[in-house]
This record gives sequence, C-alpha cells and structure tokens, in this order.
Amino acid sequence: MDDEKPAPLADLLTGAAWLTLALAIMIGAWQMDRLERLSAAIYTAPGLVPGLLGAAIALMAVILMGRAARAGALANVRLPTLRIADHWRLIAALVLCLGFAIGLVGRGPPFWLAAALFTAVTVFVFQFPARRRDGTLARGAMFAMAFGLIAGFTIHYLFQDLFLVRLP
Amino acid sequence: MFDGIIGFFSSLADFMTPSSIFYALLSSLIGFIIGALPGLTATMGVALMTTLTIALPPSQALLILICTYVGAIYGGSRSAILLNIPGTPASAASCLDGHALAKQGLAGRAMGIATSGSVLGTWIGMLALAFFTPVLGEMALKFGAYEFFWLAVFGVVISGNLTGNDAIKGWMAGFLGLFIAGIGQDGLYAYDRYTFGIHDISGGISLVPALVGAFGFAEVLTVMKDVPRAVTINAFDTVIPKLRDVTQYWRTVIRSGLIGTGIGIVPGVGEDVAAWASYAAAKRASKEKEKFGKGSIEGLMAAETGDNACVPGAIIPVLALAVPGSAPAAVLLAAMLIHGVNPGPLIMIENPKFVYDVVAMMFIASVGILIYGLTLTKLLIKILQFPQTLIMPVIFVLCVVGSYAISQRLFDVYVMLAFGVIGFFLRQLNFPMAPLVLGIVLGDLMEKNLRRGLVLSDGDLLPFITRPIAFVMFALVAGTILLNVPVFHAAAARAWGAATQVFRRGS
Repeated sequence: MDDEKPAPLADLLTGAAWLTLALAIMIGAWQMDRLERLSAAIYTAPGLVPGLLGAAIALMAVILMGRAARAGALANVRLPTLRIADHWRLIAALVLCLGFAIGLVGRGPPFWLAAALFTAVTVFVFQFPARRRDGTLARGAMFAMAFGLIAGFTIHYLFQDLFLVRLP
Repeated sequence: MFDGIIGFFSSLADFMTPSSIFYALLSSLIGFIIGALPGLTATMGVALMTTLTIALPPSQALLILICTYVGAIYGGSRSAILLNIPGTPASAASCLDGHALAKQGLAGRAMGIATSGSVLGTWIGMLALAFFTPVLGEMALKFGAYEFFWLAVFGVVISGNLTGNDAIKGWMAGFLGLFIAGIGQDGLYAYDRYTFGIHDISGGISLVPALVGAFGFAEVLTVMKDVPRAVTINAFDTVIPKLRDVTQYWRTVIRSGLIGTGIGIVPGVGEDVAAWASYAAAKRASKEKEKFGKGSIEGLMAAETGDNACVPGAIIPVLALAVPGSAPAAVLLAAMLIHGVNPGPLIMIENPKFVYDVVAMMFIASVGILIYGLTLTKLLIKILQFPQTLIMPVIFVLCVVGSYAISQRLFDVYVMLAFGVIGFFLRQLNFPMAPLVLGIVLGDLMEKNLRRGLVLSDGDLLPFITRPIAFVMFALVAGTILLNVPVFHAAAARAWGAATQVFRRGS
C-alpha cells in the first residue's frame, strides 16, 4: 500500500463515489422482498444486513467527505489535468490484460497460444522505449516472441499435464 | 502435553515420503522466490498455488501452501536487505536495519540474522499453534450466535484499524467486503440479492478469484505502471548465521516471537503489523536504541522473528475459529474448505490430527527456509535482477488460470478482473486490501449469526451485549472505534496517563 496520502480533493470525490454506492445498496436492500407471505420476521428479511452495511458505509463516506472538506478539498478547486502520455504504461497494461482475459481466453485459440501471444506483445510493448533507444527493435521482437512461446508452453505443461488442472 | 508431542511426531513421520519432501522443498523455493521479488506477495503466491494444487490430496496440497506462505514471508527479507525494497509488505521493517547493514558491507550477516530470526520465529509460533489451537477451539465451543457475530465484526474493525494508515478507509474496505460476501442467494430463503438477473452471481462471489484479483492483478498493474528501478546490489559477506547474534539477543527473539504470534491470532491483521510491532517493542527495550535504523542487528532480528512468528499465529484462528489471522491465511482457509477440511471449533473433536499435521507442515517449511537461506544467495541475486517486464505478464496469465481453475467458469476470470481494477484504484487512494478480503471471508459468518441471534432472541438486541463473551467483544469493537474519535482518544490518553502515574508513584 502506498504511504503517500491522496489529495483532499481525491478523498472528497472518492467519498462521494462511496456514498453513491452505499445509497444504491440501501435502495436495493429496501426494495427487496420482505417475505411477509412466508410469515418471516422483519429481522430475517434478506435486505436487513445489506441495508445496515449500506448505512454504515454511507456514514463513513460522509465522515470521509467532511474530513476532506475540512482539509481544504473545496479551496481552489481545479479540474485535475490528465495527460495520457504520463499514464501510458498503466493504460497499456490495462488494455493488454483486459484484452487477453476478455477477448482471447475461451474465445477460440488454445490457451497456450493466447498466453504466448499476450506475453509476447506485453513484453515487446513494455520494452519498446528502451529497445527503440538502443536500436534493437527487431531483436526485441524476436526475444518477445521466443519468451512468449516458452511461457505459454510452460504454463500449459505445468498446469494441464503435470498438475492436471483444466485450463480455459 | 505428551499427546501433542506424539501427535506432532506422528504427523511429521507421515510427511517423510519422497513426494512430500519434494513438494515441500519445491514450494518453499517457490515461496522464497515469490517473497523476494518485489511486487509479488505471499497472498498472491498462496492463491496461485491453491489452483495449482487442486488435484492433489489435501495433506500434500496444504503442505505446499504452508511452505509457500512461510517461504514468501521469509523471502521478502532478501530484497529488503539487498535492494531496500520490501519483497512483501511484511518485510518493510527489515529494510531499515537490513539495508543499512548491507550498505556497511554486512549484507551476508544481515541475511544470516534474517534466516535465524525467521526460523526461530516460525518455531515459537509453531509451539503456540500446537498449544493454543486446542485451547481456543475449546473456548470457541462456548460461542453462540451472538459471540460469532461480534467475532466477525471485531475482525473487520480491528483489521481496518491496524492494516492501513487511515482507520475510516480500512473500515470502509472491510464493510464493502462484508457486503460483497452477501451478494448472491441469501442463506435463509435462497433469495437472490444484487444479482441483476445474472445466473452466475446467484452462487455468490468466490473468494479465490476475488483474492487473485485484489492481490494479483492489482499488484501487476501497480508494478507495470511505474518505470522499473535499476537493481544495484552491494557486496556481501558470509550468510551463515552467527550463534552469538542469536544468543546475545535471545530476549528479543522470544519477545518478538510472542508479539508476532499474538498479532497473528488477531483476525486479519497480518505479518507487516507483527514486524513493526516487534521492531517497536525491541527498540523500546533495547540498550542500543541509537543503532535502530542505522544497522541494528537487534532491530532486524526483531522484525524478522516477528513477521515469521505471525504465520503460525495467523493459522491458529483459522483452525480454531475458521477466521483468518491474515490475508494469506484467508486463502489458506479457502483452500482447506476446497479440499474438504472443515476448520472451526469442532476441529479438535472431529479431526484433531489435522492440527498436528499443520504444526508438522510449519516445521518442514522452517527447515526449507533454513536450507535455502543458507545456500541460495547467488541464485537469488540473479532472480532479483530478472526484469519485471518479463515477470508480470506471466503472473497475469497465472492470475487468469488461477481464477478459472477452481470452478472452470469464465465468470470467475471476470470477477478477478473486476477485483483487480477496483483493488488497484482503491490502493492508489490509500484503501487497504486486507480488511476487504477479511470482510469477504467473514461476511457469511456475520450475517448468519446476526439473523440467527435475532431469531433466538425474537428481535431483542440485548443478548448481543449482555452475555459475558459477547460483551467483551462488543467492548473491544466499541473501544477500537471510539479510540479513533479525537475527543475520546484524548480522554483515553489522559485517563491512561493518570492511571500509569498512580502506578509509578506506587513503585
């Protein structure tokens, strides 16, 4: 966990998001069937515990927001500037991981091939700046492909053949 | 007493087969490497190994998981000493003195101290595991619905309070975990809650995919978002521990072992808190306070003994109460349930041998870390220099396999992805993950016992605070919450000051 504390504005916005979630939980809990036709007591209603938890989360979200406001979250409010170039590593990691898990796994290609493709592309993308700087892009691509294939085959062999675990 | 000793040796003898020894050595090594590599945590390691071992017999599967757990907590000290980066959060306290010793050219001695502290810590915790599990299990037989309800709430509240640096955020994460545990069909009427008509959600959110997401995928994103740091390793001397380092600080070893074990028993707190608490206690008691943070052998010994003693400590409530003492112990609990072992208050009646099996597994794991601690330094340095760009994609593939393998449902892969993304952003905003996980584990226990208690008392809330054990737990929960309110905190500090002054005068 990061020791660095987030800015008060971030806490205020997070608190608002938690409050929205908590209210949605409470509304969902309230709308649940109380099963009175089954002579169920109110304290056994399915919505009781989620409703109480929603209320507790809402209370804490309000405290978080109040604390952030006292810490100056509302003073000089400016929209944060978000430059994609500063976060390319995170965005690339998210796109590649989600693309692999949602788009490739269980959608046709055998798992070892999907895993090899994902590993190779990820290694190549994250080594790209250093490889371009050193002028070794072609070597980097070959290395990424070889590494991807070794990783894909090893995982397949280890799980499916050695430990008899079914793969997607 | 003698039954316990006989039980331990009988269990140990059962594991003396070539396959068990091979699995123990291999998994200790895997744990050691996972722990040493920054960005890979013990929880992630145990969760991934849970899927790898799903087809093995329960005793061998759990042996592998415990060896991985112990190995990972120990392995974290290596990168703390050599790189000043804790391999796992449990080793953060070891960075202070371990790396300071490394900078003085004493990295080998620091690694020797970490090895001896970790092994001794595991043994102290192991003894406590053998002794306290039956005691706690017997005590838990007196628990009714009211006590179990408070036990679950206490776990989440104390974990939220101690695992992060902001109690409110810890509690929010914990309560979210309790809520997530309630998604799907409820336990009394099989009524679908928050399923939005999606059939897969009716069965609830499985623990292992959620854990793999929160500790695996989130960690992959955390590591990959930053440009990797260059690895520079100082020269080091011999890693063979010096007997004098142990005998000179035997008080520190015993104190830290007991503190680590004690913190392990507290639900959901874990090894990092155990290491810091042991370190702080050693500093308070030390005659060489000024050396702490500048290469104190005593400080490093305390941190390493404390975090490794916490591992068996965290397994005590798993066995006696089915409540995990740390995040990796939560995975271990899930693995026990998957393998058909039912931990809880009845374990000493239904399956007493299993407790001694776990003690024997701990002992075998400690031998594993001793072997690797003394022999694998050069190989480990090569592994530490392996680029994270190559490791992280492989870890993500393992996260996908790990979340799929238990139920063979792609839905669990999507659960892992959701928990990974949510977990990543929550971490960036300073929300700790351990209370969230503990909430998911304890949610069912909390809800069932709240509703059962209300049915038994016909809606009366008084039994929740008038029964003796329930009252103590309620007081602990209320006290923990109130101590975070500034007015109450100041009043408590004043009262404590006045009380200790009376004692000081008296003495």
